[in-house]
Amino acid sequence: MLSRRVARWIDDRLGTAQFARTVLNKVFPDHWSFMIGELALYCFVILLLTGVYLTFFFDPSANETVYRGSYEALQGVEMTEAYRSALELSFDVRAGLVMRQMHHWAALLFLAAIVVHLGRVFFTGAFRRPREINWMIGVTLLILAMFNGFAGYSLLDDQLSGTGLRIAYSITLSIPLVGTWIASLLFGGEFPGPDIIERLYVIHILLIPAAITVLLTAHLAILVRQKHTQFPGPGRTEDNVVGTRMWPTYAAKALGLFFLVTAVVAFLGGVFQINPIWIYGPFDPAEVSAASQPDWYMGWLDGALRIMPGWEVRAFGFEIPNPFFPGVLLAGLTFTALYAWPFLEARVTGDDAVHHLVDRPRQRPVRTALGVACLAFYLVCFLGGASDVLAQTFGLSVNAVLWTFRFAVILLPIVSGWFTYRLCKELSARDGVPTASRVTWREIPARLRHGTARRSTPADAEA
Amino acid sequence: MAEPPEPPEPPESAEPSAAEPASPAAGSPSAEASAIGVDDPPAPKGSASGPPAAEPLEPLDPRAGERVERGAALCFLVSMLAALGLAVTYWQGGNTQVEGVLLAVVTGGIGVGIILWAKHFMPGEEVAEDREDLASTEAEVAAFTADLEAGGSSLRSRRLLLASATGALAAFGGALLFPIRSLGPRAGRGLKGTAFADGVRLVREDGEPLKPSDLAPGGVVTVWPDGHVGAADAPTLLIRTHRDQPFRPRPGRERWTVHGIVAYSKLCTHVGCPVGLYQAEKGLLLCPCHQSTFDVLDGARPVFGPAARSLPQLPLGLDDDGYIVATADFSDPVGPGFWDRGR
Amino acid sequence: MAGRLPLRALAVAAPVVVAVGATLLGAGGGRAVAQSEEPSEAELVETGRELYATGCSSCHGDEGEGIEIVDGQAGGPSLENAGEAGAYYYLTTGRMPLANPGDQPRRKDPAYSPEQIDALVAYVASLGDGPELPDVDVDGADLAAGGVVFRANCQACHSASGSGGALSYGDAAPRLAESTPAQVGAAVRIGPGEMPVFGPDTITEEQLDALAGYVRYLQDPEDPGGLPIGRTGPIPEGFVAWLIGMGAMVGFVYWIGTRNPVERPVVEGEEDRG
Repeated sequence: MLSRRVARWIDDRLGTAQFARTVLNKVFPDHWSFMIGELALYCFVILLLTGVYLTFFFDPSANETVYRGSYEALQGVEMTEAYRSALELSFDVRAGLVMRQMHHWAALLFLAAIVVHLGRVFFTGAFRRPREINWMIGVTLLILAMFNGFAGYSLLDDQLSGTGLRIAYSITLSIPLVGTWIASLLFGGEFPGPDIIERLYVIHILLIPAAITVLLTAHLAILVRQKHTQFPGPGRTEDNVVGTRMWPTYAAKALGLFFLVTAVVAFLGGVFQINPIWIYGPFDPAEVSAASQPDWYMGWLDGALRIMPGWEVRAFGFEIPNPFFPGVLLAGLTFTALYAWPFLEARVTGDDAVHHLVDRPRQRPVRTALGVACLAFYLVCFLGGASDVLAQTFGLSVNAVLWTFRFAVILLPIVSGWFTYRLCKELSARDGVPTASRVTWREIPARLRHGTARRSTPADAEA
Repeated sequence: MAEPPEPPEPPESAEPSAAEPASPAAGSPSAEASAIGVDDPPAPKGSASGPPAAEPLEPLDPRAGERVERGAALCFLVSMLAALGLAVTYWQGGNTQVEGVLLAVVTGGIGVGIILWAKHFMPGEEVAEDREDLASTEAEVAAFTADLEAGGSSLRSRRLLLASATGALAAFGGALLFPIRSLGPRAGRGLKGTAFADGVRLVREDGEPLKPSDLAPGGVVTVWPDGHVGAADAPTLLIRTHRDQPFRPRPGRERWTVHGIVAYSKLCTHVGCPVGLYQAEKGLLLCPCHQSTFDVLDGARPVFGPAARSLPQLPLGLDDDGYIVATADFSDPVGPGFWDRGR
Repeated sequence: MAGRLPLRALAVAAPVVVAVGATLLGAGGGRAVAQSEEPSEAELVETGRELYATGCSSCHGDEGEGIEIVDGQAGGPSLENAGEAGAYYYLTTGRMPLANPGDQPRRKDPAYSPEQIDALVAYVASLGDGPELPDVDVDGADLAAGGVVFRANCQACHSASGSGGALSYGDAAPRLAESTPAQVGAAVRIGPGEMPVFGPDTITEEQLDALAGYVRYLQDPEDPGGLPIGRTGPIPEGFVAWLIGMGAMVGFVYWIGTRNPVERPVVEGEEDRG
């Protein structure tokens, strides 16, 4: 048999047959929610494939030129090479627009899949020991993906992307002490800076994709090493993994899913117009359009900038400008909290046991309630980013909408967190299973300060 | 063909049960069920072991199986035809919509076909794989740290070498940081001033200077310092208020306007977006990025939104030819705030 | 001329008849006018004055001098400087007459026939020295130049796609989907409501033609990318990504994750597995 001869040949040189067999027989739990991370992986593959095609045509240059392509409504308009080549890619390169649109849709879906995956891991407690490292790699991947998405749509030098860059520049500028320096070094001078597009291009197509690839590999390698978590059930214990074997069933399903994700992206890329830069026009620092929003995954930051009241700190001629608080501090706190969460939770619950069986969210009312409250906070921020469009769509006053969000951003997390807590308790009681939480809200600060003397056993945690 | 294979556009077929043709037929136990039931699943070897964990899978009714097989094969066939169509489309000049939909059919057909195949004709029984302890034994960890320490102590015995080598590496690291400085010019004073100065004319985008009569009451125009059209730090709004609007100049700025024309920096003091929305009747400037609102009649004071500072005002005058000129630079540094803006 | 007689008689006999009645009768009159030769300027003004007296004077005053708004009482601004352009804009876009004087004027079907509007426009123009209705000619307009003017002066409020936008304190810049070139020209010159005024020294006649041409283009632009989903960018795009994209992908994942009846494992690999 050919396969045996090939296996023999490779094994003689690498000695991999035993390892390869283990891989073939690796067991994957069959729950659908465990495949959401795969969606992100496949979106990333599509991003690489379409992105490489785009690089053949895109010219990341800030040099001025005059448009002479086939789009009539911009004939003779002055613009940069970057914007011109993006237009050429859209109008004059065969299959260029469908590739560009697929790339952009895949980016939106990449981030969406990462966020849903993160939510799944959080609410089922799959980040607990021994998976803290992979959780932190995952958070890093989220940050890198967000940043790369922003870098990507900022390259085209249309009016919308230039506005986004200007906001990013101003947020950088707002950092106390070093902000002006960082901004100057990043942009190569005062905004708009002569170099930012070329630099973002290298960052967008080389540095961050390489970093994502490395971390993604580590993410998957650790997952293979540690094996999957699984939901509790008959025959499922802390000492085994129950599911389908890698070969051939799971491999086929994974391959099939890759093709299905490609189909979704291709369908969106062909049928739904995304980022019509020819309508936005070339970037001009003195112009802006009504309803300028970032892509969805940056929406919470834009909304936080809007919701923040007009306060800033000034003393002795120095100041901490307003955008620092929502733009730098909030973002920093968000990701610090995400990184620290597995350790914070272990400290508060005193549960640092190994967990391979994941929780149902209802079994952990405090965690679930906190998670829902955070989601509510970011959702309000996200909607705040669309305040003007909401006001226009529903015929309301922008000011009233924004004031509503200013209250909602505090009240909604509290209300939804409390409601979730009650709901979890109720559902667990109905199940006849007491919740695992032995921590009340009131104890949390003290436990965070002092840790807890009690070290629970796995049996404790499962109770 | 009783069952629909897979509609051409995958997103519409997202409903799992609709896309799964065989389940109703096989859901009811049939005569053959026991004959082909999974009564004796093969025991997994290697790392996987133990009894099947979940309830045995339902057997597939052969007739239903045939239908599923034909359906999957049809998916592959449709995919092939769509690929052909893709080639023809490209050759004919291309069309984004046709390309996207055909590519979706090509990949969707393959995907659905493979999934149907995997779900119905590949071993689907659940097996349990043992999970060995990840952690090494105390003895192994102790042995590792002992080796590490042993090697380390031999390094530590040469204190002079260790100290000087550490110093050299640190110096090397420090030296590597210097090229970062090449990335941009010194930050600072450029942020605090613009090209406006006493006697500099205000010109429009086409470079033409303006006379007060060029601007109708209730009118607005974006201007730059002469010779710096398009400068990112200097776009300025020249606004002529309506005659009946009560303009209240700031103390000391009573002579900064000409013929009811007032000039403010167009850059929002929040994050520097152009404050482009002029509500002429209310005399308000609104920033479309984050809805900061400034009162033009009251020194462009922020009245709503996240901006915390007034828009800087440009003192205006007329030159000998009657054109509008600045009489100095802006009252404050323009645009967003930064650490040492006030120094 | 006979066609307009009933209207004149009515105006003389019953000066306080509501505008609706006038509209009904006026419609008949308008058709008759279309059959006869063009009315002279003076006749137009005269007809306009009659229409004005019944439909407009209660808010804008007997001679267009305006009525001060006191304590929410009905009143309206002076029309002395509204000019041809102002009257044309407000009447053809249906923003005037208003049912309640305090309402925000919004686009609706015009209350008057085109001939009546001509007459009212002529009358209002005769009240003072307001701006003339610019003669906008979009045939052969330079689209690209119009786009430049649009992005420099209009997109901040009306958005780059002409879909309108919110202003502060409940005001809104309307979408431009139904604006005719003449209405665009009139609006630019008079600055209705919160809109600033752009005189001929700010936007030249030539630029105005190009601008109106570009606005007309924006009403039905090229959409090479497929369904336009509003052409306003990230918000609708985010919705599509989440609802359609994520919806479909999670649906697929759910489908793959459900267990189905399976053919008995093929025996081919059996000897390997033991």
